[in-house]
Amino acid sequence: MTFDQMMLLLPLIIVTATPVITMLMVAVKRSHAVSCILTASGLLLALLSLLIVVRYPLQEVTPLLQVDNFNIFCTALILLAALAVTLFSYPYLCNLEDHQDEFYLLIAIATLGALVMVSSTHFITAFLGMETLSVCLYGMIAYPLHREATAQYPMEASIKYLVLSAVSSGFVLFGVALLYAQTGTLHFNDISVGITQGIADGPGSEYFVVASLLIITGFAFKLSLVPFHLWTPDVYEGAPLPATAFLATVGKVAMAALMMRFLSVSGVLDSPAIINVLTVIGVLSILGGNLLALLQANLKRLLSYSSIAHMGYLLIALMTIDSAITGDGSLGGEAVSFYLTAYVIMSLGAFGVMMVVSDSAHERDHIGHYQGLFWRDPWLAVIFTAMLLSLAGIPLTVGFIGKFYIFSVGVETAQWGPLAAMVIGSGIGLFYYLRIVYRMITPLDYDDPLPVAGIRDVISHGILLVLLVALVVLGVVPGGLMLLLESVVQSL
Amino acid sequence: MTMLFYLAGAVALISTISVTISTNVVHALVYLIISLLAVAVIFFVLGAPFAAMLEAIVYAGAIMVLFLFAMMMLNLGQATENEEKAWLRPQLWVGPGLLILALLVQLVSVLVTQRVDVVPVEVGVHELSVLLFGPWLLAVELASMLLLAGLIAAYHLAKR
Repeated sequence: MTFDQMMLLLPLIIVTATPVITMLMVAVKRSHAVSCILTASGLLLALLSLLIVVRYPLQEVTPLLQVDNFNIFCTALILLAALAVTLFSYPYLCNLEDHQDEFYLLIAIATLGALVMVSSTHFITAFLGMETLSVCLYGMIAYPLHREATAQYPMEASIKYLVLSAVSSGFVLFGVALLYAQTGTLHFNDISVGITQGIADGPGSEYFVVASLLIITGFAFKLSLVPFHLWTPDVYEGAPLPATAFLATVGKVAMAALMMRFLSVSGVLDSPAIINVLTVIGVLSILGGNLLALLQANLKRLLSYSSIAHMGYLLIALMTIDSAITGDGSLGGEAVSFYLTAYVIMSLGAFGVMMVVSDSAHERDHIGHYQGLFWRDPWLAVIFTAMLLSLAGIPLTVGFIGKFYIFSVGVETAQWGPLAAMVIGSGIGLFYYLRIVYRMITPLDYDDPLPVAGIRDVISHGILLVLLVALVVLGVVPGGLMLLLESVVQSL
Repeated sequence: MTMLFYLAGAVALISTISVTISTNVVHALVYLIISLLAVAVIFFVLGAPFAAMLEAIVYAGAIMVLFLFAMMMLNLGQATENEEKAWLRPQLWVGPGLLILALLVQLVSVLVTQRVDVVPVEVGVHELSVLLFGPWLLAVELASMLLLAGLIAAYHLAKR
């Protein structure tokens, strides 16, 4: 490994050092504030180190990791989301009757796993990254289990996630083993070469389709696409809010970016069978997610079903990205990257508002808790409304531009079935998002005091403000980000 | 060598069957250790001495002994043995057993009809280390972070 390659790995090295240093500090003296500050500054430092990374020639670092513009973009997105979750966690965890430090260690290591996932072009690193992220999430989801009153929900959620995540990893491994048996390589790049040769003189293309489908099944589990979505609502509901927010933003971005790289580099999308399966999964996710969200009274469950629908929208664009073999300059990659950015902003905002009004002893996750929010706390209500409108895809928000992007990609590639599902799904979605807004306008006839924003909430409110500004600015003038993404995706 | 392979394979099969049908948990675990050792011999015969050593040291040596200690500490008595006996009634395993038999027939027929000559290539410690500490160094480092994550999560969840 040369010096240049070491510098390209700078964000990974800093994120690896963060939990180690934090752990050493914990060994000296436990302090919630110090752990939070150390983790946040580590993530911030990793983010700033990207400015150094772009000065070096971007290249493959050992056969395992690839550093290119797409990777740098996803790294920045993941680090920003992880940083926001870390800062939101501090006021949330303050009244936890337990040590809080381990949560920050797990956030830092989980972020490392996500960063490895978005830079991997090799199944070894892809799998290690996925497992690192999942193992940290088991701990984060079950984190408050030492509180007697509410212990069973996080435990149940964590065990559900443990079992299903292990099963999905098993699917991925089985698919990888089949691909390896056919191509003799674990590198994404070589798979496309191996596949063409394998079809010529190997056991035939059906074998490769089965292997790719197994891998895609595993990925769909992690992205919680229908019919692999059953764990999502329970895990979202049972986990503490910071863990839910982390799973919904960092987890989804890392998985979607890995899937995008796999689909584009391996040439899997050239198979019509795979496209058919992805189309069915996409349509089912859009319709299923939106229909199941309709009557949910628990906001975490509602957002989990809405995330299923959003990942379905994303799949429409994922199907159209440039294949390494027959690239023809489609907008798919840009649409996926833009939608991921929009999705991170919207879900962080929505979960952020919930985290600000909740704490670890009392989570406000029922729709009734938000009744009359416009009169009780207009500022939070405005942010929540903006995030929900963006999730619904109302113009002037980043969610609208994201959906528009995907829609235009779908029209370009004539996927009328998924597009029809998307129109119907968005229509249904409008109902349940606006239902929350309606409840926020309806006055509350009894008194339910929200926690007063103290000095330690300043940062949380600051992040919410930044998210709101990003939501509106990217929704009104998305040109800059679009130009950036165009150059980012070309490098893939 | 071929003799050794079939002998170890037979031992592995018999001991694994004993694991499933023995009603005493400690006996089952001892059989499992024998099965893992037999698999280690198979690895060795197939030309992977390092994997064989790891199998013997890590699985049979460390993990199974830990299991054994945990089982002995739980002090499962006659009650669990009776429970296990009750679970071994024929109507519970005849159905799945027949299905698995069908799969076995398929597997054997495929193996008989397709003649594939396997030539064992020895992969020693040196070749493995060159790979692990050369191009795959990052994977080793990442695996260590994965284990650290597991350690922290387990420490937090299990303390009290």
